[in-house]
Amino acid sequence: GRVLCLSWHPSGTHIVAGSIDFFRVIDVTSGQTVQRIMVNHHVEKAKRECVVWAITFLSSGTVVSADSFGRVQFWDWEQGTLAESHTVSTSAMLSLAVSEKEDSIIVGTSTGATYQLQLLPVKQGGQEKRWVRTKPFQFHSHDVRAVAHSPTALISGGLDAQLVIRPLMEKMQKKGYDAVLRKFTFPHRRLVSCARKARLLLFQFSQYLELWRLGSTEETGKDGEVLSLCRMPEHLVQLKSKGPEHIYCSCVSPCGTWVGYSTASRFHLYRVRCDGDSVSLRKVPKVPKLLPPAYQLQFSADSDSLFVASARGSVHVFQLLEPGGCKHLHTLRPPSGCSEAVYLLAPSADGHWLAAVSGDWAIHIYNLKCFKHHCVVPTYNCAVSALAIHPSTNNLVIAYSDQQLLEFSIPEKQYTSWSRAVQSRGLHRAWLERDSPITHITFNPKNPSHILLHDTYLLCVLDKSLPLPDDSTLLMNQSTLKQLPEMARKRQLHAFKICKKFQPLLFMDLLDENCLVVVERPIMDFKTQLPLPVQQKKFGT
Amino acid sequence: ISDQKPLGCWSVKHGQILTCPVVCNFETHEYIAVHDDKVLRIWKDEDINLDKAFKATLSAAVCRIHALPLGGPLVLFRGGAVRSLDVLLAAPQQEIENLISGEAIRWSEAFMEGQQPILIFTTEKDGDFFVYIQKPKLSSLHKYKLEQQESAKPLCFTAHITNQTITLLCLYSNDSVYQVLIPLYQDTGEEEEEEILSKSLLLNLSVSGAVLKGTSFVVLDKDHIAVLGSLAAPGKEPRECLTIWNTKFQTLQASKELPLGTSGQLWCYEEKFFLIHGKVLTVIMYKCETSSLASAVGMLKDSQTPDVSSFVNWNTLEDEELVVSFQSQESVALKAESRMNLRSRRSTVAEEQPETLSVGQLLLNLKDASTYVLESELKRLMAKAPTPDLQATIGCVVTALTDRCKRNPKYYPQNFLQQIVETRDLSYSLCPDLMAVALEKKDMHLLQICLERFPDIPEEITYACLNAFLSISEAHLQSIDVNLDSVVCYIDVECNNGEVKTEIVENGFSAEMDQDMCDTKMPEESQSRRDGESCPVGPQKAALLNAVLHSAYTETFLLPHLKNLPARQAILFLRYLYYLYVKCSEKVNTTLPGIRCPTINQIMDWMCLLLDAHFTVMVMLPEAKELLSNLHKFVRAQVRFYSELNKIEGSLRELQRLNHLRESQTYSIEVLEII
Repeated sequence: GRVLCLSWHPSGTHIVAGSIDFFRVIDVTSGQTVQRIMVNHHVEKAKRECVVWAITFLSSGTVVSADSFGRVQFWDWEQGTLAESHTVSTSAMLSLAVSEKEDSIIVGTSTGATYQLQLLPVKQGGQEKRWVRTKPFQFHSHDVRAVAHSPTALISGGLDAQLVIRPLMEKMQKKGYDAVLRKFTFPHRRLVSCARKARLLLFQFSQYLELWRLGSTEETGKDGEVLSLCRMPEHLVQLKSKGPEHIYCSCVSPCGTWVGYSTASRFHLYRVRCDGDSVSLRKVPKVPKLLPPAYQLQFSADSDSLFVASARGSVHVFQLLEPGGCKHLHTLRPPSGCSEAVYLLAPSADGHWLAAVSGDWAIHIYNLKCFKHHCVVPTYNCAVSALAIHPSTNNLVIAYSDQQLLEFSIPEKQYTSWSRAVQSRGLHRAWLERDSPITHITFNPKNPSHILLHDTYLLCVLDKSLPLPDDSTLLMNQSTLKQLPEMARKRQLHAFKICKKFQPLLFMDLLDENCLVVVERPIMDFKTQLPLPVQQKKFGT
Repeated sequence: ISDQKPLGCWSVKHGQILTCPVVCNFETHEYIAVHDDKVLRIWKDEDINLDKAFKATLSAAVCRIHALPLGGPLVLFRGGAVRSLDVLLAAPQQEIENLISGEAIRWSEAFMEGQQPILIFTTEKDGDFFVYIQKPKLSSLHKYKLEQQESAKPLCFTAHITNQTITLLCLYSNDSVYQVLIPLYQDTGEEEEEEILSKSLLLNLSVSGAVLKGTSFVVLDKDHIAVLGSLAAPGKEPRECLTIWNTKFQTLQASKELPLGTSGQLWCYEEKFFLIHGKVLTVIMYKCETSSLASAVGMLKDSQTPDVSSFVNWNTLEDEELVVSFQSQESVALKAESRMNLRSRRSTVAEEQPETLSVGQLLLNLKDASTYVLESELKRLMAKAPTPDLQATIGCVVTALTDRCKRNPKYYPQNFLQQIVETRDLSYSLCPDLMAVALEKKDMHLLQICLERFPDIPEEITYACLNAFLSISEAHLQSIDVNLDSVVCYIDVECNNGEVKTEIVENGFSAEMDQDMCDTKMPEESQSRRDGESCPVGPQKAALLNAVLHSAYTETFLLPHLKNLPARQAILFLRYLYYLYVKCSEKVNTTLPGIRCPTINQIMDWMCLLLDAHFTVMVMLPEAKELLSNLHKFVRAQVRFYSELNKIEGSLRELQRLNHLRESQTYSIEVLEII
């Protein structure tokens, strides 16, 4: 039968695989089914089929199954007997996760509810323990397709495009930032890329890409004014990915003539030509096969080469050929080896350097002139959320998920003095307590002291020439400054110029000195497009 | 067992006999069997053929093997020697000493006490019974002689360890269960002397003339044992029964008839009985509840006991009488009998349980004691550690107090009663006279607490309270201490908690802010304002009326009483309800701030009820006219407002949609100044 879920025994000797109406236990060494257990054995209305949507193997040998009848069942697989059965909900159970200690289980249902089951002693201080459904949560409006159980929190993700982290209050030592319920709507990845010179934006959707040309204006105005457009934005191309696979990453070249994307299994490269009103799109033939495919794509600033982030810390360098070709030039690998894939890339504007971040959070810097490993940035115990190389100084600016900002000089292989000053002084408390990480960094070529950053709720121009704010000053002071006379502003200025006008912010880039492009994605936009949740009868309706 | 399929089956060769029960060593998941007295077999789940399993031939006959959870199996030989399995397997042919001469082992049991295994077994020789306690690790052996019992001998034993004392229970052939206590650690000075163990009667297995001929029994918890046997009533066929007895109260808790007959054996693991009933193995779940008031009045959620349920009737507590009733057969006949039985047995067990029995007695003794003595005694009684019947005890205490109040009009322990009602979860039915006495004494505060706490006040008393509250003068109320929690937050205060500040934390959720409670200042009433705008009653009276509004009632039962409410009081009450209604309507969510405030539904229900009861009076009375017309106007305005809101609901929604549509497709170029 169809296998819908599977789980390994922690010792690696057996696999349990859930199907419709039954699940099987498979011996790994022999590859044979050693047990087959019918899950709807005791249901009288067994006419409906019972789908085992999620299954977990506990180290004790107990198999926990979650099925479409809303049951969580505990089986002794060796004897094939049902130890416990809990009808947790009337709707289907779709996902299941167990804590590392195997004393707590979280299940997700098709109505958006999640439930926690805990292994508790039957009597206070007694030895005998049973599973008890303890806490119900309703954070989702649709199917909860995935759940995870961390030592201190329940994590669930659903069809309503939300990731929810619910801390377990009994595991929290103090009332702090970790003890707060968190919801994430957008992935902390770049979903939009910008061709600066051609003024194009590439939007990545799950199954297709859209390429838009930006509109323009000839007017200027005062702060807050909306200018009339002399040219409307133009939808150039919609590029549909074949097959059921989701698009994993995509990129448009700065010149706007190359578009690349990768799914879980394949990498594709296209040539885009815009002649006046007509747009032609041609697939680049004989793209070098990549196994496994790309985790991140990045074109060089001169659009001559493409960097492909790949598994085991490697970065492939492709040379782009006119009129539409591509050849593998070199593969960069960290000298000490790495087991994790590269997930972020940053090339320098002069084409000399490339910084690559792998899953182990190590940042490797390569020299592209001689394809050699240059150096490693000292490791920091936090994930890198964004990085970029300054076009004129070749300083690498790194944003970490704990909101720290570091600046590393590539030529000198050390942190810059400004970075050291920031570290010794510490960043503003309000900055450190923000919730979403910086997802993109860019620079103003006309003003080398400016670093532009953004997360989901703010965009920030970091002016290195200004003093850093301390905790007593107001971090978000733009509206205050605007009310002050010119003279008084001087004393109030600090390095972080923050604008929160655009929310939720998906992307921001600087097109030229005076022009900033910002992409907002209103949550209501896709909430309204979601299918109706499972109908639930409410009392009295 | 749910699947009813055997998980494994092994058999010995023809001609061989299994000579002791097979045990499973749960540490290694091995099974251990003995056949032909001396041959040991050890095998695992995977082994199919017992013949090919591991075999060891011993030098002496094995009596039993005991599997222990931590220590590994212990082998008891017929001669009384004990070896651990590991030691035996190391040298199977080792010599086994004979410790008992001419005695036959009747029963044995093994325990773990701390880290060391303990084996206890009983032997018989010429009608004398001996008890041996072996500690194989210390290789110590104690021998005791069991006290003789005339014309009866033990049939069955069971034992358990508590506080380093072995409690040995013996089922004797005279239908009684005796208890023998054996201390585990004692000085070994008098080892040579053969100690005689004295036994005490624990339970007599007879009920209403019927005698239970027990065959085997198990201990369930400290107060309960289960006995399997045949119930022989004079003039009736003996029937086999499984019974659960409460040894503390000497009562039969439950019984289940087993008409197909049993093998006379009973096992018990993890709150399940296992017994052979006819040709099948029957598993019966059971649950021993601690005897409690809840189970006495039948309020307990159904326990797991499948087809037998039992409860203790506490009604007769004051008479120091416990009556057991069975839902199963013979319930009526048994009742009277068991009562007598218990009374006659009381003398034998009285010393063991003075606490439970002394409450009623104590109250009787205190009947004529002085006030001070009474109160201090009662306080001492209540300060005791909570027992299952504490609730009933408190009920008795309160009843005793109210009885005294009735007899002695000058006596009224106001603070003490308040303290009891506030700290204990009492109900009206536990102390039915309390509220009547409080009404008589005009103890408004106590009535308020009772109304707030008791779930089961009769409508008649609720009405009496309402009437009392409405009739009492404001001046008198000023001097009374009443809990004002339910009124301070809304009575004639400029509410400043209209806007609830919520802060949006930037990950898509809003942190709930504590709603700041408004100040509790109380400006003087201003008569100038219209009805419904100022409170027609003082805060104390309002708090008392709120307590009435909060209490549970049934309309049909309340209405006849409510009709008796004097017209003046009815109008005052209606005025107050109107005031509350207007207050509620001020807020969008139509709830009053504060704790234990009446809800809008409660207010409306009472208003309707009051108008129903006094419609004719209201229509006739001139002073009611203006009130009714104001009320009517207000309600009409409300209805109109909501119907208008309903009408524009569609438009509002459309506006929202349009707004959303317009925004979502925006592409704009804006000027943004960053300073």
